[in-house]
Amino acid sequence: MAVLRAHGIEAPLPSGFEGRIFTRLSIGTEVSRPVAHFATFALPVEVGDFGGGAVNLMGASDIFAALFEYGPESLGRQLFSRQGLPRSLAPTDFRPYVLRRGLGGQSGTQWFFTESGRPFTLYVVLGSHLQRSALVPRVNDLIGHLTISPPAQPSGLASAPLTTSTGAPWN
Amino acid sequence: MIALAVVLSVVVLLLAVLVAGLLRSHADILKALHELGVGVGEPSTRDGDHADARGSDPATSVHVPFTMGPPLPGERNSTSAPTIAGVAPSGDAVAVNVAGGSPLTLLAFLSSGCATCAGFWQAFQRPDDLGLPAHTRLVVVTKGPEMELPAEIAPHVRSGLSVVMSTDAWNDYEVPGSPFFVLVDGESGRRIGEGVANHFRQVVELVRRAEVDSRAFGIESKGRAFSAGLDGPEREVANDRELVAAGILPGDPSLYPSSLADVYGPDARGQTVEPVRYAPDGQRAPSPPRPQDPQRAHTTPKAPDQTGRPQPLPATVTAWDIKAG
Repeated sequence: MAVLRAHGIEAPLPSGFEGRIFTRLSIGTEVSRPVAHFATFALPVEVGDFGGGAVNLMGASDIFAALFEYGPESLGRQLFSRQGLPRSLAPTDFRPYVLRRGLGGQSGTQWFFTESGRPFTLYVVLGSHLQRSALVPRVNDLIGHLTISPPAQPSGLASAPLTTSTGAPWN
Repeated sequence: MIALAVVLSVVVLLLAVLVAGLLRSHADILKALHELGVGVGEPSTRDGDHADARGSDPATSVHVPFTMGPPLPGERNSTSAPTIAGVAPSGDAVAVNVAGGSPLTLLAFLSSGCATCAGFWQAFQRPDDLGLPAHTRLVVVTKGPEMELPAEIAPHVRSGLSVVMSTDAWNDYEVPGSPFFVLVDGESGRRIGEGVANHFRQVVELVRRAEVDSRAFGIESKGRAFSAGLDGPEREVANDRELVAAGILPGDPSLYPSSLADVYGPDARGQTVEPVRYAPDGQRAPSPPRPQDPQRAHTTPKAPDQTGRPQPLPATVTAWDIKAG
């Protein structure tokens, strides 16, 4: 079983899945956050954060899942009040209208949550709403083994002194 | 005269001693090999008094591992295509599922240092000019960051090119060196071609040929061991079962053809072998009904031809027919 591990996210991939965990190049003062994509089909090199450019390639029995991290300013917001990544989804959690890009026959679900002090959203697309009973167990096999580590401390903080200087000369 | 006889006797005696010494040395070597479990010939005796079957007794023999190169995991064989997992030159994690992910995946095992690879890196800067068949996914695989500097790979990576740094992939695919190319059929999840090339146009031609061969092979061998992805001993066992089911047991004359007539029947002698015919739907045309059931066809004596070799029935499945599949 292949294991993806980067940016504090670890994902053992079930058979038939591929994926990537990455951050985009920052533009200006923007701070890029980690994004993870998982799919049972060949992911194009360039894929939007929520599957743009990929979900239109899905077959009826395909799955696409995205894990997207938000900035620390989102911590404590009501939207992210759920603690922990959903580890098991039900077929009834999927709706054809819960799609970033509505494609006929597909079905989706989206969950906002906080895990290990990091705010995320999980977005999953099924290739066919009619096949959700067969596809959801595969989704659960994927998300059931995802691991999210606490945010890494900035390198400067790790070595910072516990007390501040009172203005006395250093010696 | 007497002196000459004495000298010759001494020489003969010395030679006899030398031969005896060599034989004893040879016996010691054989005995040591038998004790290690890798001996040849009859088991050696031990202690001189009683025969000891230690060398041939599996319960007491010493297992000596003998492998060439790192062994593949048990679930893999020479045509399996495991997922490639590693990192991108940017440090991101990447996993590519070549089995089922895309109709065809071309894996290009390259390195930053080899001179021949430079031409391929250059060619990959213009993906539209590569000329690969449609629906062919190109993935470049280098060794992992422990053996390749990501900073040396990164300048070669243009937007739109998949690059995975993974030493495990090199081991999984038994890559002998760079550059090396592997073509994987996503539908069967098997490697259908691999090799080296100096120019990418050679690779493109090989991909085209492999694609055509695979398509024709898939039609002809549908439902057989090959199309089931079996290889090695498993494929042999599956073929043997199919032969037995067709009434062809060990020793059957059709297993040892010496002429086209042995394979295709008496009518084929002196005639051009007709190609395999396919039905309009692309499937192989059904064989004419067999005159009797397979077991009876096998056990019923057949009329010998001029060579004395029994002739297989025209509709009999032969070893060639199955092995070709």
